[in-house]
Amino acid sequence: MNGFARSKLQEYESPRVARLRPNLWGLAFSLMKLLPARFMLDRAEETGELRAGGHIVETTSGTFGLALAMLAAARQYRLSLVTADSLVDDVFEHRLKLLGATVVVTEDPNKSGNQRVRLDVVRTLLSQDLTAFWPNQYANAHNPMSYASVASLIIRKIGRVDRLVASVGSGGSISGTAHFLRTAFPELEVVAVDTYGSVLFGQPPAPRRVRGMGNSIVPENLRHDLIDHVHWVGADLAHQATLALYRAHGIFAGPTSGAAFLVADWFARRDPQLKTVFLLPDEGYRYLSTVYAIDQLGDVNLSTESISPGPLIAQLGPAGNDADWSSFVWARRSLAQVMSRT
Amino acid sequence: MRNRRPISDESISSTKVGVGRCCGHHGEFLQGVFADDVHHLKRGLLTVPCPIYRSHASFWPRETGPVTVRPAWCTKAVKAAELTLKLIKESIIGGDLTIDSNIPPGSGFGSSTADVIATIRAVADFAQLVLPRDTVSRIAVDAEIASDSLAYGDQPVLFGHRSGALIETFEGDYPRLVIVGFDTGDPPVATDEFAPARYSPEEIETFSILRALAARAIRSGDAAALGRVSSVSAEMNQRHLPISRFADIVKISGISGALGVQVAHSGNVAGLVFGAGERDQVDAGRRILHEEGFGKVIEFDVFAAPRAWS
Repeated sequence: MNGFARSKLQEYESPRVARLRPNLWGLAFSLMKLLPARFMLDRAEETGELRAGGHIVETTSGTFGLALAMLAAARQYRLSLVTADSLVDDVFEHRLKLLGATVVVTEDPNKSGNQRVRLDVVRTLLSQDLTAFWPNQYANAHNPMSYASVASLIIRKIGRVDRLVASVGSGGSISGTAHFLRTAFPELEVVAVDTYGSVLFGQPPAPRRVRGMGNSIVPENLRHDLIDHVHWVGADLAHQATLALYRAHGIFAGPTSGAAFLVADWFARRDPQLKTVFLLPDEGYRYLSTVYAIDQLGDVNLSTESISPGPLIAQLGPAGNDADWSSFVWARRSLAQVMSRT
Repeated sequence: MRNRRPISDESISSTKVGVGRCCGHHGEFLQGVFADDVHHLKRGLLTVPCPIYRSHASFWPRETGPVTVRPAWCTKAVKAAELTLKLIKESIIGGDLTIDSNIPPGSGFGSSTADVIATIRAVADFAQLVLPRDTVSRIAVDAEIASDSLAYGDQPVLFGHRSGALIETFEGDYPRLVIVGFDTGDPPVATDEFAPARYSPEEIETFSILRALAARAIRSGDAAALGRVSSVSAEMNQRHLPISRFADIVKISGISGALGVQVAHSGNVAGLVFGAGERDQVDAGRRILHEEGFGKVIEFDVFAAPRAWS
């Protein structure tokens, strides 16, 4: 792959920096997953795992699949994406197919996300095409590594920051950004934003209503030992904060961004002397019929304070619901360390 | 046509002597590989300028070859003089070159680079030319195996020392620093024979962070941030050219209140980095270095501003 082909979507992966308070910055991506997807493909091209005209296979229902589909189109790879009928909507599937991707939809009557079935399909596809490349975003070390460029951008444009707030799905963005930012600022505090029903930080699995955050498995790429605080945000609060972000600041983002905003804004108000930065992983278009489908503007809270006064201090395993918000001092421990104490 | 030279040609005789100077360096704040504008990886470094060490070159031109040099072992300077003469395309093809330098050779102070750059400047001076800095750098790279950014003087740059090309010009001046330098106790390194380090993808990404932090430090005059850059770069270099007493040096840095440790990434000198005006810390650092048996201790300012301005 030559330099020109590689640089095709380069500018698309960089976030805009939005200063929301004197001490609060948001990094708003159009599609954050372009960054790890591009980085993983670059490295696979270098090692020869992925050759010109090759085949990429991945299991994803979300924006990582869209990012892969954009890159596969721009770089002329074949792409097979494995998803579940409970996770993919027609519009999104159409977008992927227009980009030339083959979408394999598995049946998921229990609405569990079908992780195991999807992985089996991926393995079958890989065994049928021995030259196919599986990015495997949950375990590929190049996923977190790709976020060095986000840390660099923060250092260059904002300078010294005291706190990073990011919602967690694959663990790549928070682990990578935190690791590289700490190279520059060792005292950086790292806050993970999760949602109820996600197993990432030791809760029992349950259905989740917020798209793109939380997980039903614990990915290898999530470095628990980098995390100082965990916040669980319910779907209702995440959605309200997403609308508040739009109405109060003009930023049209997805609900994972809204959840991170709710938590980051609370910290920024609490500690005016500390600089907080948070990540906004995608834009709002995909959520027009869900998060943004409200009848009355009057229903929108303009400030995060009016949405919630703040989190409840949780013992581990909070049985929260969609209207709750809890926090827990993680203290840079491993998952096993935390679980052995509860 | 108007005469471009106000002085008659005779007064600029072919026997005019050219002089040039160049200061040495004290290793680097940062050395690694970095992406250039078109995303190609280049080896590069950010030099610690060391104004107490300098090389002075004098060039007496001759119309016949060859170029001779005193002291005779400055062969790279001869090559640099010949390359510069060829570039200038004068009728002069030879000359006598004298190098007078107080830079200790073979320890990572850039003695041969300083000689080469002082020589290029001396030849250009004889020809009454100011050569662009990148031209000076490229001639230096052609005359040597590896070069550094001494041609850029006090402008902080990320310099491609293998390619001779600039990777990034940092906006601003070096923060005000005091360096307490010393001999690490390890054997000297012959730069010509030192095999280039191979870096992992993780290291390459970390270099991009240090580059960003250096840019920020220089733009905002943040001495502590540049100390941090130095310490991480020095620690990463342990995998490639280890300093045997590195752990001791880091400890001394911590005890004395230094902002960090900088090393010559292909040499055997290191330095404690202090903020300007931190006299007590500097004295503590010097004392502990002495107690711990580190020799050849020197002290110099990087980009000192007059006290009245501070």
